[in-house]
Parts: sequence; structure tokens; C-alpha cells
Amino acid sequence: MSKNVVILFGTESGNAEFAAEDMAAVITDRKVQVFDMSDFSSENFESTNLYILICSTHGEGDLPSGAVPLYESMKSLKPDLSDIEYAIFGLGDSSYENYSRGSEHFDALLTSLGASRIGEYGRHDAQTGTLPNECAVTWTQEIIAQS
Amino acid sequence: MRLARANILSRFWGNLGVITLSSPSIAIVGSGPSGCYLAQYLRKAFPDSRISIFERDPVPYGLLRFGVAPDHIGTKAIAQQFERLFKRDGVEFIGNMEIGKDKSLRELRNEFDIVVIATGLNEDRSLGISGEYLEGIYSAGRITRLLNSHPNENSEGILVGSNIAIIGQGNVAIDLLRLSLLDSEELRSFGVTRKISDLMGKQDSKTISVIGRSPIEKAKFDITMIKEISKFSNVKFTSDIDYTKIIDEDSKQRSEAINFLVTHSPTNAKRIVNFYFGWSTLSFFGSNRVAGVDLVSKQKKMRISVDTVYTAIGFQEAKSASIKKSEHTSGKFDLDRGFLDDGLYCVGWFRRGPVGTIPVSRADAKHVSDAICSDYYSKMQGKVEIR
Ligand SMILES: Cc1cc2nc3c(=O)[nH]c(=O)nc-3n(C[C@H](O)[C@H](O)[C@H](O)COP(=O)(O)OP(=O)(O)OC[C@H]3O[C@@H](n4cnc5c(N)ncnc54)[C@H](O)[C@@H]3O)c2cc1C
Ligand SMILES: Cc1cc2nc3c(=O)[nH]c(=O)nc-3n(C[C@H](O)[C@H](O)[C@H](O)COP(=O)(O)O)c2cc1C
Repeated sequence: MSKNVVILFGTESGNAEFAAEDMAAVITDRKVQVFDMSDFSSENFESTNLYILICSTHGEGDLPSGAVPLYESMKSLKPDLSDIEYAIFGLGDSSYENYSRGSEHFDALLTSLGASRIGEYGRHDAQTGTLPNECAVTWTQEIIAQS
Repeated sequence: MRLARANILSRFWGNLGVITLSSPSIAIVGSGPSGCYLAQYLRKAFPDSRISIFERDPVPYGLLRFGVAPDHIGTKAIAQQFERLFKRDGVEFIGNMEIGKDKSLRELRNEFDIVVIATGLNEDRSLGISGEYLEGIYSAGRITRLLNSHPNENSEGILVGSNIAIIGQGNVAIDLLRLSLLDSEELRSFGVTRKISDLMGKQDSKTISVIGRSPIEKAKFDITMIKEISKFSNVKFTSDIDYTKIIDEDSKQRSEAINFLVTHSPTNAKRIVNFYFGWSTLSFFGSNRVAGVDLVSKQKKMRISVDTVYTAIGFQEAKSASIKKSEHTSGKFDLDRGFLDDGLYCVGWFRRGPVGTIPVSRADAKHVSDAICSDYYSKMQGKVEIR
């Protein structure tokens, strides 16, 4: 049976949330829930779900503020995520030095906690003048088809 | 009835409620980032409400459209989030409508259950010093409106020379510095009109003095804004930072960012940028047009010759503002929650003062939206009969 999907977004100016809503809307064959990372706790991961993370980059390659509490709590509580699958989509702007680094912090942490990433690493570059929605939706459809 | 109440509450807590008891009608005055983010949150909280945004400009988005630098493409794209409010989410946009002038706030409050003031603070602060009204001295607000093609701003009388002083070292000052280093073709590629891009980008050589009252440790710019300047390779940067006085970590980072520019710049270049920290502007001098600026730091005085000045020392409520904060902060107001009176709220720069980026305005909108919802539901709860 295919897993339910939980989309976690980490945002500063709302682009990741905006895209997360469109991503959820195209997943029609199973249950989807969308959470702001700041409303999600590191104890909530369940192996019956596929986690899709979408997260922007701020400061100098840092996490957006809404993602920091979850990141910090995962880092200190070190939950065992060896039966967790996730896919990840990073938002950034290639005019900055640390392009798309925000999501990579999560990717590294999830991997170190034993979780396994599925599919391509998704990216959106704000330097294109577009919002991530369109390419995040296409990417989501590919991830869902693979999982 | 118990069911209905549970549903109101569940809607409030974000679950999928089914029954809508009643939805308040909501008017938002001002379509800048804080007004638009607020509309996003309120639309989620009240899917069936009539939500209207009144705006004095013909087009929406306030400083996101007319303040944010045209080369900040990623930031400008946020407007595409807000477009959906009007295109899909049933939020009504009423432009060319200045509340307090074309229609009174009282009228609006009679028409709508909830009114939220999101009018920002749009007037450039002035230095209040002599020579301030000489020709050749322009405010940051005016220049950024021109760069962003504001329909009611004109370039009459503007002449940009090759010896420029920027007064102020906040992010807007650094925007003006960066934009002054682009040539006219580059400016045009970011959508700046031919007229303005020629005014600002035609000079072959340039000296730009960036003058701040605060010492480096208190300089207001974000470090990322300085790092962005490092993309200019053929500009010579200098600064008067006293490195012996740099102690704490934050000022170290600030001075290192400036120092990076200085040490990585060529010894000779046609364009020169000098950073001056800790200098107050005493006065401007010149006969008709500005010829220079007098500065003071502690006991020392300094005179710099310039032919053009941009002042970027912050924003304030206009004396002519159609909605004034002081008129709404006398009763039972609670600014921390954005509450001004029953059914009247405020958000954004109007609420907090003229500081903070667009993400800060988003957090602000969430905060005020929560206050509006909680007040509304406690009022409704009183009205629902519980058996
Ligand atoms: C030059 C400049 C550049 C900036 N660049 C950036 C940046 O790159 N990144 C960033 O994050 N932040 C930037 N900021 C900060 C950002 O613009 C503010 O945080 C944000 O715009 C505040 O939003 P607001 O909605 O409160 O005010 P505003 O954006 O000022 O919106 C207020 C709106 O209300 C309208 N209005 C006013 N009075 C009335 C009335 N009586 N009736 C109807 N409508 C009315 C105005 O026309 C305007 O559209 C910049 C600010 C300035 C000044
Ligand atoms: C102040 C600031 C700093 C940023 N820093 C970076 C960065 O270091 N690296 C990067 O790739 N993108 C950076 N970005 C770009 C954002 O990640 C990008 O605009 C993204 O779409 C924002 O998504 P959000 O609205 O979900 O936060 C920065 C943007 C801003 C405004």
C-alpha cells in the first residue's frame, strides 16, 4: 500500500508554504497533510508516512526562522529515523554565495539520523524571477509516481 | 448547537470544519506586504468572508512594488503569491481609493465588520539641517519610487552628478549604493525606465561617499547587503573603520564584510566608494545646487565636496497622512495585538514603526490575524447558545 504523505515546509517570506499548498493539491491518490515546520515536533515522524520537505534559505545559507526549532530539536533529541523515507526540495537564490543551503542542513541531519531520501533532490532558484510552485508541483508528481 | 460551536472552534484551530456560522466582512486599508499577508491568513481563517483591500495607488503591493530595489528579483517575486488573492481567492482589490480622503474610515467601519489599517509609513524622514532644500538633494523614497516607475512620482528637476553622497547606512542606503553602481543598460534590464536609468547610470566615473552617523558596530545594514556589493569588481572601496575598537562578534562580522570589499578592490578604478562611519551630518552648503556636506565626529569636523546627495535615514508618518496613528491610540487600544478599537485593527509598519523586512511583516500579519480571529470567536461564542 502506498504511504500517506506529510509535507513539511520551512519558510521566511511564504514561498515554501505557498508551493507546499500546490504540491498537496496534486496528490490525489492518498492522504496528504501539510505542516509548518514550526508546528511539527521531532517525535511526530511515523514510518507509515512519506515526508516531503520543502525549505528555503536565509541569512547566509541558513535555515529560515520557521525551520530552526524543528531542526534544533531533531539535532538534540536524535530520534531514530531509520524506517523513515523522505524527499526534499530546496528553495534558494543563486545570486547568494550559499545557494540553496538551507534545505541541505535538513538533508544532512535526516541522513545522519538514518532516514533515507528518495527521488531527485528538487531545487528552485528565485533568481529566475519565478515562484517555486510550478517546478515543485512537477517534481512532486515525479516523487509520488516513484514511491 | 454544541456541534456548531465545536465547528467554529475547529475552524479556528485549522481543522477542516464544515459548518460556517457567520463570516465577518473584512476591509484592509493598504495593499503592501503586511496588508496582503494579512489577507492570506484571514482568507484561510474565514474562507467565506468578504475581504476587500483598499489602496490609494492604482496598483497593489506598496513598497514591495515601489520600494524594493528592482534588481532584487527574488524579493519582487513574492508579489506572485499575492496575485492569487485577487485572481483565485476572491479577495477584492479596490485601487485609487485613499481612505480618509476618497472615503472616510468611519464609512468603511460601518460597511465592514472588521477594518484593518495597513497603510505603512511612507514619508522620508528629513535631517532638519541647513541646506537641506538645495537642488541636488533627493530622498531615498523618491528615488526608489522613480526606479520602480511609480505613476505619481516625477523626475522633474533631478540631475545626478558624479560625486554623490549617500546619507545613512541602512539597507535602503545600501540599495541606493548598489543601484548607483549599475550602468544604465543594467538598470534597464531590471525594468527601470530609459529616463531614470540614463539619469543614474550614464556617468563614466563616480565617487560615492556613504556616510553614517553610527560607528560600524551600530551600523544598520544587514551583512548580506554588503556581501552583495562584492560582485562589483572594478570599484575601489575605502573605509575609515578603526579596527582597534572592534570588540564584539557582530561588529567584527560587519567590519570584516566592509574590509573584504576594501582589500579585494583594485588600487585604481573609475568608480570609488568611500564608507564613513560615525559622522553626523551638520549641514549642506552650496549656492543653488549642493556643493558639499559638513560632517562632525566627536570633536573632528570634515567637509566633503559633492554634487548630488541621497538621504536615506528612514521613514515616518506623513504630516498629510489621511489616517494618523495618534487618532486611534487614545481609547482602549492594545498595539501589541494590533487592536485599536472594536472591529478596528492595524498591522505592519503602521503598527510597529518603519523598521523590519518583508518576512517581519509576514510574522506581524500572522500575529494580528490570530488576534482578530481570537477576538471574533470569543465574541461569537457569547452569541452561540450552548445547551
Ligand atoms: C526603499 C525600500 C526598500 C525596501 N527593500 C526591502 C527588501 O529588499 N526586502 C525586504 O524584505 N524589505 C524591504 N523593505 C521593507 C519593506 O518594504 C517593508 O517591511 C514592508 O513594505 C512594510 O509593509 P507595509 O504593508 O506595512 O507598508 P507598505 O509597503 O508601505 O504598504 C502600505 C500601503 O498602504 C497604502 N496606503 C497608505 N495610505 C493609504 C490610505 N489612506 N488609503 C489606502 N491606501 C493607503 C500605500 O499606498 C501602500 O501601498 C524596503 C523598504 C523600503 C522603504
Ligand atoms: C535576506 C535574504 C537572504 C537569503 N539568503 C540566501 C542564501 O544564502 N542562499 C540562497 O540560496 N538563497 C537565499 N535567499 C533566497 C531565498 O531562499 C528565496 O528567495 C526563497 O524563495 C524564499 O523562500 P521563502 O519565502 O519560503 O522563505 C535569501 C533571501 C533573502 C531575502
